Amino acid sequence: MSSSLEDYLETIYLLVQEQGFARVKDVAKARDVKAASVSIALRKLAEMDMVRYERREYIALTPDGEKAGRRVFSRHRLLTRFFEEVLSMPQPAASEQACAMEHSLTDDAMDRLARFFEFLGGCPTVIESFHQCPLAHDHGSVSSHAHLPGACAICAKKQARASISLADLKPGQGAIVTKVEAVGALRQRLLDMGVLPNTQIDVERVGLGGDPFWVRCQGARLALRRSEASSIAVRQAERDTPKQ
Amino acid sequence: MSNLVVPAASALPAREIRVVLAGNPNCGKTSLFNALTGARQHVANYAGVTVERRSGSCDIENCPASVVDLPGTYSLSSYSPEERVAQDELMDAPDVVVVVVDSMQLQRHLVLLAQVMQTGANPVLCLNMSDEARAAGQKIDLALMEKLLGFPVVETVGHRAQGVADLKRAIARAAGARMGDNRLVLGETMDRALAALRPLLPAHAAKIFASDWMATRLLVGDGEYTAQVAAMPGGAAVLAEAKRQRERIEARTGTDIVIFVTGCYFGFVDGLLREVRTQDSRPDARAITDRIDAVLVHRILGLPIFALVMYAIFWLTFKVGEVPMGWIESGVHLAATQVSALWPVGSGSLLRSLFVDGIIGGVGGVVVFLPNIVLLFLGLAFLEDTGYMARAAFLTDRLMHRFGLHGKSFIPMLTGFGCSVPGIMATRTLENQRDRIITMLVLPLMSCGARLTIWMLLIPAFFRPAWRAPVLWSIYAVGIGLALVLALVLRKTIMRGDDAPFVMELPPYRLPTLRSVPMKMFERAWLYLRKAGTTILALSILLWAATAFPKPRQYRIDARIASGEVAVTSAASADDPRTLTEQQVAGQRKAEALEYSVAGRIGHALEPVFHPLGFDWKIVTAMIGAFAAKEIFVAQLGIVYSLGDTDKRTDDLRAVLARDYGTLVGLSMMLFLLVATPCMATVAVTRRESGKWSWALLQLGGLTGIAYGLSLLVYQVGRLFV
Repeated sequence: MSSSLEDYLETIYLLVQEQGFARVKDVAKARDVKAASVSIALRKLAEMDMVRYERREYIALTPDGEKAGRRVFSRHRLLTRFFEEVLSMPQPAASEQACAMEHSLTDDAMDRLARFFEFLGGCPTVIESFHQCPLAHDHGSVSSHAHLPGACAICAKKQARASISLADLKPGQGAIVTKVEAVGALRQRLLDMGVLPNTQIDVERVGLGGDPFWVRCQGARLALRRSEASSIAVRQAERDTPKQ
Repeated sequence: MSNLVVPAASALPAREIRVVLAGNPNCGKTSLFNALTGARQHVANYAGVTVERRSGSCDIENCPASVVDLPGTYSLSSYSPEERVAQDELMDAPDVVVVVVDSMQLQRHLVLLAQVMQTGANPVLCLNMSDEARAAGQKIDLALMEKLLGFPVVETVGHRAQGVADLKRAIARAAGARMGDNRLVLGETMDRALAALRPLLPAHAAKIFASDWMATRLLVGDGEYTAQVAAMPGGAAVLAEAKRQRERIEARTGTDIVIFVTGCYFGFVDGLLREVRTQDSRPDARAITDRIDAVLVHRILGLPIFALVMYAIFWLTFKVGEVPMGWIESGVHLAATQVSALWPVGSGSLLRSLFVDGIIGGVGGVVVFLPNIVLLFLGLAFLEDTGYMARAAFLTDRLMHRFGLHGKSFIPMLTGFGCSVPGIMATRTLENQRDRIITMLVLPLMSCGARLTIWMLLIPAFFRPAWRAPVLWSIYAVGIGLALVLALVLRKTIMRGDDAPFVMELPPYRLPTLRSVPMKMFERAWLYLRKAGTTILALSILLWAATAFPKPRQYRIDARIASGEVAVTSAASADDPRTLTEQQVAGQRKAEALEYSVAGRIGHALEPVFHPLGFDWKIVTAMIGAFAAKEIFVAQLGIVYSLGDTDKRTDDLRAVLARDYGTLVGLSMMLFLLVATPCMATVAVTRRESGKWSWALLQLGGLTGIAYGLSLLVYQVGRLFV
């Protein structure tokens, strides 16, 4: 079904809900189109067995039509609320965006969005902290995505700790591996050597000029280049002693 | 002992037992292999790849056994050619797979055991270097470990050949009683995934395709196996299930699948060790390594110490080597006189010439370097076995990396000072093909031991004593400098791309034993002698023939004597060019004969090309020999001059050279010989190791072109000043 036909169904559904009936001229008025256009659309919908003419000018939805109209309307309502309440969009714009999107989203995507919305409803602090974050109001660049500046106190703390890599450590410092970001052969080699998340890794010495790194992990001494060390995310251990 | 152990000999297969040794690098696997097989071993290459295959044989409980030493691998994934070779070998369903681990590194090394167990192999676990572990207060309950694992576990000290008898018995036990399906317990999540995949694995002749190992590889999405299985009937179903399981695990654990699976292996090892290992609170015996490292890889002292070590090795090679070289030289000389004496004095016998000038002269000139080669490899084997080599890579990586090379390139290049051939073979330690090719291509610029003969001949001929050492030093320096610059150029042009992982293990220091070092040394010495006995012997004869044939029918000198232009007297005066002694006439004839020969003709033909470099046809002729093998340059020059000058090789070659050419030509000659045309053996080994003729030809053509340009520049610019 085309999006304009879906819009007609939605309009008829709303009119019936509000005033108990829908006439061609009501529909033309609500959709801001000529009555003739409405007649063409209604003929198509009648062929699809979505609407039927009760009396002259009076239109009723078939059970299928009512279902389809309700579906489009509920999508519209959810999207409008999402744009308004979560993304803080002003009213007419939110409704317009909802109109544009309500036809194109698949049922699956809609379903997921609905569940996410539901989750946010049950967890208002998430929306609150998002609204407090400068990122929510920044209309400029998107580049600041990499480091959320105080988006959420908990997350910010977590991120600050996680953003340290092995290459940031000095000789004599130790840390716990949080993530091995390397890919391909390097990743496999690091894993084989026992550089796994949640293992202790200590920098014992660094070559002249800051490269390569000499580390100890799971009892083995390993040499790796600075560039490779920077692909190992670590979180600093409580104590900075290299000995196990 | 566990109840799974079955009395050995009776159940052994009637045929040869096939045994494979698997293990991490630095686990002492090769010394164990040597202890098992002794001299009965064979070194070759795996087809299509550049990985060395060591195989040998031994008797196990009176049953013949073949033993293959797999290349050291950290795991069985297939990122490096070594790992792929190891997998292929395991696919070949050997009777017993001996997994060798370093007892001090159980936590990491046992991961490989877990993977081997998954392949459905019939394993024996060998806890090597158990002496060190015991000294460090670690105790392993072997009986319990056998019971838990379901296959034999033995302790050995490979480099002392301790426990080899136990190992043989264990192999016999394993071969006699195929162990049951001792499935690894890798945790509920992993086991469920494997259980789901197991029934879906396609049937294949190779048993490994039905193993948990295969299921694991498909689960982690290994590119190679996924492609292979996709092509098999029923492959799509198992791949779809693998994907489903992967997604399930990733969603459930929140980690990606590779880390999850690796974590499972480490978990298995942890669990096993918790059961069987007890640790005294004795201090780690290997703390001594830390103390040595505190000095040897000291931030500031590290490099100077390294330079000193290298100096010591070169001193050993060249200074100490002089003594046995003298013996060999006199031996060769004695042989030449003895053989010569079989013919009457002044005989022009071709056979005598072939033996004395061709064979003894050619091969003798090569064998003379044997002490150098042996001593250099003694030094390098010592460095390798102590564990210092890895430190050298650590110390040099920053410099090497700057030139687009790898810290591990340093060792092959160092070996290149002895001989390019083993140096190029040593590039195998480099995992990345690109790093390897670059190292191979520039490696001939390291002035090899064979070229040292050339320098030893030419430098005293053209330079005053005070200048000799600095000139020799500069030759080496020019070679190294050029190699680094060329490596950088290659990296920036045809060899662009990301760096290979450098991640390298630094093994603990160990005292090399009297078993391992000489073994390595003699292996190299034998390779060198074999080269001298085969390739170089053949080439010496070929080159001798090229200088001896065809013979001119008439000599110009005879025509001049016949016409009365010159007179032959018994005591010619030096002032009168028209009187000559018999000896001088003979010399003239030889010179004419050489010019007339194939070698002389090639030399003549190429002379115009090399004239701008200051070379005449004699040098060019000798350089043709240098392509055959660098050391032949000297032999060839000797032949050229002994034939063309005097009947006996009494005249010192150096004096003749100094007489015929100036210092500038000498310099141009040395530069050309340093850079140009790696010898035939080098080209051949580059072809074999790189897998492509194009690389070998690029090396040959490129280096010769650069040499020509450099010598041209030096000679032409030099002429403006001289």
